[in-house]
Amino acid sequence: MKSFVIKAAVVAVSTLLATNAAYAWNEGGGEQDAALHLEPDLENGMEVYEVCSACHLPEGWGQTEGTFPQLAGQHRSVLIKQLADIRARNRDNPTMYPFALPEAIGDAQALADVVAYIEKLPMNPNWGKGPWGPGTPEYAEGEKLFKENCVKCHGPTGMGDPEKFYPRINGQHYKYMLRQFEWIRDGKRRNANPEMVKQIQGFTDKEMQMVINYVSHQPVPEEDLAPSADWTNPDFE
Amino acid sequence: MKAFNSIATTVLILGFSSPTWASEGEKLYVQKTCVACHGKDAKSPILPSYPKLAGQNPDYLFQQMKDIQSGARDNGQTAAMKGVMHLVNEKEMRAIADWLSTLK
Repeated sequence: MKSFVIKAAVVAVSTLLATNAAYAWNEGGGEQDAALHLEPDLENGMEVYEVCSACHLPEGWGQTEGTFPQLAGQHRSVLIKQLADIRARNRDNPTMYPFALPEAIGDAQALADVVAYIEKLPMNPNWGKGPWGPGTPEYAEGEKLFKENCVKCHGPTGMGDPEKFYPRINGQHYKYMLRQFEWIRDGKRRNANPEMVKQIQGFTDKEMQMVINYVSHQPVPEEDLAPSADWTNPDFE
Repeated sequence: MKAFNSIATTVLILGFSSPTWASEGEKLYVQKTCVACHGKDAKSPILPSYPKLAGQNPDYLFQQMKDIQSGARDNGQTAAMKGVMHLVNEKEMRAIADWLSTLK
């Protein structure tokens, strides 16, 4: 059984690499499409998630200091795309790389299982926020920038769009978003949507901080949040 | 006291509710995410090309951590580790190195 899984995974990743030979923003196909359309098994997703939990924490909350993002509540399609991109080296993330490999995660089914598990995790009610709260000039400027540049794709409160692989950005740690935004602007995050790269080209560092600050202060729907910041994931007790 | 505070904060941040650690180094090994790549026993790395650390000389371990953090060493697969090295200070590296050296 195990050797079958490994073979399937090898086939899957070869397909992925072949599919993405001339990779742009999001060509899809191969394993990415397969994982998106498989019926997820949450029980197995939990087992697969164990390896992720060493860094992203059993709750999937990441760290407010920004090293590891909050994964809980993120759209399945976005999680699959990021995993596939890291695996295919379209997103440079040497720390994460081995964990995106089939040996660590498994085949397309395992991928479907783990992202479904992550998407359903309740989010951290105390995520990392930027320094400028509502009522400050920096917040107001960030709001203006957000409405001019971001709202069309990420939505008025940063919910993104699962159909289009646009990530949910509300509830994400400020420091993590800041780093990713900078990398996208400066061309260091290669799997970014070229439309976004173009859109934010003219942002100064201060504008970047203000717009991300605004996002970090947007509300997360109550039903997506854990009951308290002390909540621990009972699956990993 | 200060060190205690920072440890307590780390425990809070990382959400470990009831730690039963044999030593400071063992605790840090998990909390600072070393365990993710190097394995629970420090000799079952996630990739076969990553090093087994159990039983390694403590001064060697400490020096490698310091050099990867500072960038003095940036060859091989250090890029993977560099991404998390800001999570530890020298005192913590020392504790991790000492604990790893006691493993068989």
